[in-house]
Parts: sequence; C-alpha cells; structure tokens
Amino acid sequence: MERNEVSYLESRKLVKRWKGPWPALANSLFIAVVFYITWWIFQDPRGIMRMYTPYIGYMVCRWLLILFIWVAYIFDFWPFKRAWLDRTHPLVKSTVIVAFSVAAMYLLIKVFFVDILGNYGIAYFNPERLTSMGLTEFYAIEYAAEAIMMFAAIASWLSPSWVVACENAPWQKLPQPARGFTIVTVTFFISMIVYFLTMHSHMAILFYPWQKFTAICPPYWEEFANTVSGNFHIAWIMCCTVVVWLYETIWERYPFNLIKTNWLRRVSSFFGIIAIAVCLAFFLYYCEELAWGPAIRGTRRLMAPDWRWLHVGEMAIFWLCPTLFLTFYCNNWPTKFSRPVNVIIRTFLTAVIAVVVYIIYYKTSHLFLGTQKGFSHPQQFPMIPMIWLINIFLINSWFMDGWPGWKAVPKTAAEIKELESEVVASDVKWTPRFAVGLIAGLAGGVGVYFMIINFIPWFSTVYTIIH
Amino acid sequence: MTEEKDKGVSRRDFVKGAATGVCAGTFATMGLYSYSPLAKKRLAKTQRAMKDFGVLKSVKITNISETSWFSNANLMGDIHKAGGLLVNQYDLNWPPFGNGKGSAQGSYESGIATIKDLIPHDLEKAWEIQEKLSLHPENAGGYSCLIEVEELNGKKHKYLLDTGWSYKWTDAAFKREGIDKMLENHEIEALFISHEHWDHFWGFPVTMKYDPTIPVYIQDGFYEEGLQYIKDSGHTGPLHSYTDAVNQVIPGMAALKFDVPIINRVFGELSLAFNVKDKGLVLVSGCCHQGILKFADLAYRELKYDHDRFYGIYGGLHISPFEDWDPKYDDLVISLGKWGFEKIGCNHCTGHLTAKKFIEAGYPVIRGTARFRSSSPDYLGNGDTITFGV
Ligand SMILES: [Fe+2]
Ligand SMILES: [Fe+2]
Repeated sequence: MERNEVSYLESRKLVKRWKGPWPALANSLFIAVVFYITWWIFQDPRGIMRMYTPYIGYMVCRWLLILFIWVAYIFDFWPFKRAWLDRTHPLVKSTVIVAFSVAAMYLLIKVFFVDILGNYGIAYFNPERLTSMGLTEFYAIEYAAEAIMMFAAIASWLSPSWVVACENAPWQKLPQPARGFTIVTVTFFISMIVYFLTMHSHMAILFYPWQKFTAICPPYWEEFANTVSGNFHIAWIMCCTVVVWLYETIWERYPFNLIKTNWLRRVSSFFGIIAIAVCLAFFLYYCEELAWGPAIRGTRRLMAPDWRWLHVGEMAIFWLCPTLFLTFYCNNWPTKFSRPVNVIIRTFLTAVIAVVVYIIYYKTSHLFLGTQKGFSHPQQFPMIPMIWLINIFLINSWFMDGWPGWKAVPKTAAEIKELESEVVASDVKWTPRFAVGLIAGLAGGVGVYFMIINFIPWFSTVYTIIH
Repeated sequence: MTEEKDKGVSRRDFVKGAATGVCAGTFATMGLYSYSPLAKKRLAKTQRAMKDFGVLKSVKITNISETSWFSNANLMGDIHKAGGLLVNQYDLNWPPFGNGKGSAQGSYESGIATIKDLIPHDLEKAWEIQEKLSLHPENAGGYSCLIEVEELNGKKHKYLLDTGWSYKWTDAAFKREGIDKMLENHEIEALFISHEHWDHFWGFPVTMKYDPTIPVYIQDGFYEEGLQYIKDSGHTGPLHSYTDAVNQVIPGMAALKFDVPIINRVFGELSLAFNVKDKGLVLVSGCCHQGILKFADLAYRELKYDHDRFYGIYGGLHISPFEDWDPKYDDLVISLGKWGFEKIGCNHCTGHLTAKKFIEAGYPVIRGTARFRSSSPDYLGNGDTITFGV
C-alpha cells in the first residue's frame, strides 16, 4: 500500500513536539481556552449568540459533529488535496476546514431541512410554517431544531459505524468523492428510516390533536419504555454513538477484529455495537432507578421516565470525553500489555473518569457555563457542552494534527504496511487456556455488575452530588 | 526452559481470556438483567412516613388572579430575544426591574434604583416609571390566591399564596376581591411565596402597601436579588425561609418544599397540602414546577391523610404554560387518572391545551366563568372560587 492509498488520518503519524507530559498539558489548555471562548460566543445564554436555547445550539453542535465525521472519515478530506493537508499550517488548515464544514452545515439545515423538506414534505421542519399555524415562535423553532437535531444524532451513530464497523464495504475501493457521496447517501437514507421509526411519532404528538393519520400514535414503545416520548430512542441511539467510538479508539476494534471472514466481521461489529449500546442503555437507566428510585410516569424531570431515558444518553456522552482524550492525547494508554488487558484497563479507567467528570459537571457547570443548577432542568443539556468539547477535540486532532503539542509526519512504508495486518487481530488466539480464562472472566463480569448495582444505592445515600 | 515458556504463554492466554470475559460478562449482564422484572424487584419499596399533620374542616380558595401575562408571544419573544430560558429573570428588563437599556441588559440593581424610593407607598408612580423603562409592561398580570381554612373547632384562617406581578394589575385584583381591606385589617395571617418567578413574586410591594408587617414564608432556593427585593419593598414583619421538605403550618395544613431548578434562573418551589376531614388530601400550588405527580408523590410518602385518598387540586400545574407541548405532558394526561383526584381546579400555567386534554380524558375538571380577562371556561378563572370539604 502507498501512502495515498490509505486515508489521510491513517497516512500521518502524530509525534510529540516535546518530551513528557507537556504536549498533553499544552493541548488541554489550548482546548479549554478555545472551548470557553467559543462557548461564550456561540452557546452561553449570557454570551453573544446565545444558541443554547437549548435546541438551536444542540442542533448546531450535533450537525457540526456529523460534518466533521463526514469530512475526515467519510470523504477523507475531499475536496482538500493531500498535498495541501500535508504542508499547510494547522491553524490555517483547521480554520479553512471548519469554515467549509459550517457552510456545508448551513446548506444542509437551511436549504435541505427547512426549505426543501419543510416546505414540500413535512411541515414541522419549517418553523415559519408552524408559527403561521398559530404556534409560539420560540417553540416552533425549538420543535424544528429538535427534529433536525435528531437526524444528526442518528447519523452520528450510523456514519462512523459504516467506516468503523463495516469498513466502508462494499464501496471501499471507490475513489473520492464517489465513496464519500455513496456512504453519506446510504447512511443518510438509513438515518431517515431510523428517524421515521423512532422520532416521527414523537414529533407527531407534539401537535393537537395527535397526528394519527401520518404517524403511529401513541407510539409502539409506550408500554415498554413507560413513556410516549422519543427520548427512549435517544437513550440507545446516543449509546450507539458512544460505543462506536469506544470500539474504534480504546477498544481498537476488539473483539470483533478477531473474526477473519470479512463480511462476518463487518456485520457482527455493526450489530455488536448496537447490542452493546442497548446493554449500556438499560444499565444506565437502572443506575438512575437505583439512585433516585423507580420513575413515576407523568411526573416531570428527575422522576419522569422520559427524562430518565434522555439522561441515559447524557450519561453515555460523559464517557466519550475521557475516551477521546485518552486516545488523542495520552496515546491510548496503556499499550504495553496484551490487547484485551489494555482494553479492559482503558475501559475501566475511562468509565471511572467519566463518573468523576459527571460529578464535577453537575457540581460546577452552572458556575461557568450559564446552565442551571440541577440534573433535570429542562434546559440543562450536558450533551451540548460535551459535544461542543468533543468537536474541539476532533478539530484539534483531525484538522490541526494535534497542534500545538503534536505535529504530523508522514508514515513510513513499513508503518503503512502494518495497517493492513491490523484489520484482523492476530495477537489473540483461541486456546484452551484462553477459553478457561474467558469463562472465569464471564463469571467475574457478572460479579462486577452486581458489585456496581450494590454500590450505587449505597453511594447515593452517602454522597449527594447536588446539594 | 520451554516448559516455563509454555507456562508463561498459557498464563498470558488465560489473562487475555479473563480480560475479554470480564468485559463481555459485565455488558451482557447489563443487558440481560438491568431492565428485567427481577431488577425492578430489587428497588426499594416506597417507605411511607405517614406523618400526622392534623386534619381540618374545609379549604376555600378564591382566585385573585391566574392570568400572569396576556400574550404568550410577547413573553416568549422577550425571553427568546434575551437568550432563552436560562437567562436570569432579573436581567430580562421586565417591569419592575426595567432600566431602559433593552433586552437582556437589565439587572436587579439598575432596575430597583429607578423605583426604590417609591415602593411600597406610591406604586402607581413606580409602575408609571417602569412602563417607560421596561419591555412589554402591558403584558404583566400576576398570580395570587386567597386561601380560607376552617379548623375542626371552627377557627378560621386566611392566607395569601403569591402576590402577583404587575403593581397595577395586582392592586386592581386585590381591590376587586377585597384583599386590600383584609390586609389592612391584618385578617390575613401570612403570605406564602411559592417561588421567585416574576409572576408570583414581583408584585410583592402590593401586599406590603397594605400590610408590611405580614409574616412572609419562602423557601431556601431564593436568590440574593429576591431576598433584597423583600427588604427593598419595606417588609418589616417576620420572614421564614423553609429548609425542610415538610413543614406543618396549622393542624391539617403543611407547606412542602421542592428543590427544583426552574426556568430563567429560579430555584425551588413551595406548595401547600391540606388534609380535609372525610375527603382526603388537597394540593394547592403556585406554578407546580416540580410537577403535580411529584407533588402528590411526596405527599404520599410523607403524609397521613383521610381515607388515604387524593381529593383535590388547585393552582397552576405548569404543564404547557406557553401552549407548547411535549410527549411527556401526554404521559401526565394518560396517567393522572390513576391517582384518583375528585376535584381538579387548574389554571394559570396549566395550559389550555392540557385542560382540554384533561376534559377529553374524562377527568373531574371544575369549570370557570372566564371573567376578568381569564380566557377560557375550561379553567378556574379570575374571581372564581373552589371549596374543598363541607
Ligand atoms: Fe407561574
Ligand atoms: Fe413559575
């Protein structure tokens, strides 16, 4: 394989500019500063543009995320030339790519969703239509933004899934931009189907009377989820978004990369991600019940099933931040053990850090983000600052080559050769001892689970996060 | 040598398998167990404290005003322009804290400075000044109700819950219902402020105008500006700030405190519960930001009441105050019936659509007369009364 046969992100190697912890510290500081300045300019309810209404800001950060993923993962930076990427200063490069993504996002939201879909297809995508039918303008905009945002939420699970799990198949050989357009179109199409199956009913019951002729109301999940709200789907879909990246980064595509048969590996990792996400979603929901008691349907906020499902997604997002940080800025530490051991250490470590970040967030965010104190304020959306932060991680790592602490150098031919063998892991093999270990481990995993669920009720009585 | 090496390999294989197994086992149990009936069984059953807070004969409520504002579009427009539902209410430049600088440029200090020397004795002048300095002063109304309680021994008490917003509107409403005279005669024993929101609290000087010595009850979620406003309005009576969740006021009447974050930087709500003899529990709220079922659930867990039965509701239920909607409100409409309330007197921030859906669902909603700018007979409107017991 030549350097130009692999994607840009695979073709470069990020090397530290200085020894020791300085690069990670420098980048953390840089990211924190960028986060806070941009948060103030765009999102903060006390700042300049105040997009945290919340749904406008939510829509924007979700769509930016998906565009960054499209640019870097799906389009492999097309239409930007590899030579330009190689030689342009990270600050210039990132500014240009972000501006390009913002423009593309604007076209998608304004032209595709609001003007085309909202005028010729589904009224709720266009706030002006809703206001003209008597809705308060503020809510008309929030409803439309919520619907448009959900598209991005679904796509930000499916689009990277296609790259990470399905390995771009069956279009991996297509040149850019044909491959990009194909995968974007396909994942967009699947996103649309998922949207109709999960969110359309939610939108339809926002209006009086329930739009029964155009959507299934009450929705089919009512009994199972104990709510008619589409937040039930947000829970597992957000978990999918998070698990895709866990799988891609700290898990190094383990364990599905043990499967040698291409189609089987791709299919099982695609559905495996969903299965793991659903497990995670149920678990996080149960954590809430253990900490706060069973949900009461019809209540609001903390005790309501719809909020509990939403919060499942929010909790999952807290896991994504330390995960990406570990991969981008700590070289996916640890790497010295065997892959399964590395994976379990990273999983445990990032989960613990996620809990710490969660606690710190709810203890302090109202002091500096302009959000409100409390878990369940209707306008308290930790997903927005978290995704905003993740977006900056991605800009820094993908578009700035890790500036200032890192710089990109081209990989050598040998290093690129290594990539090939990585698709299928060869370091873990099925042996009798492995099987014994696996069985012991499975039993241990059950034990770990019950330890956690015994710990949570106790912890929630001895420690109060928000006073 | 090779044996040792083999041992090493086999131990390493075991560790690899174990590491993989722990991850897989944990996730699998998460999926299989967490949402199962077995898991539900582990959850602690509700422990009922059954606190006996006494019983009383009857509760009569007079709606002084439930119309907090008259145009949703203007209200939401102002909030939206200022940056949405998280913006501090004192910064919105609404009356009486307007400073003439426009949307989101207000503050408590700069607003109160324009009227400080006029409250509470010359509210007409103060409001006139504010009409020039603030956004949409004509949109301000207010929420307030008179609660008359009769004890079993025949002893009667009067309380105010909330004190409106617009000085002009609230004063007129007080006069319409004779509240001004009752306050002047010290017939009203206390003023309870449900929460710090503009429409329940900012008309505070109107009560002070007639009785600055009245005991005032709030909860500990009040912000600095609110506490300052109480002082700046010339209050000289006792001020109690509840810190406990359940607080008995008189036999059969309790104030319940809810720590709930509320839009436009407000925290906490205080609601009232009454145990009416032979009827059951009556819940009275200002906005009920905590949600009516959360309110009912706390009462269920903490209090003992006649026939162990929920009987009545009065007040804003804060469901769709801006006529917005969310599927979770349908969750409430669908499940409220299970709680068995027999008399539902809702208004204010309940939302007309919610009232309509309640009626469609067959719930016992007490209709109103739609007078004094209350807009729908589906509600208990301004000047309407509701009685629980006797
Ligand atoms: Fe209210
Ligand atoms: Fe309120």
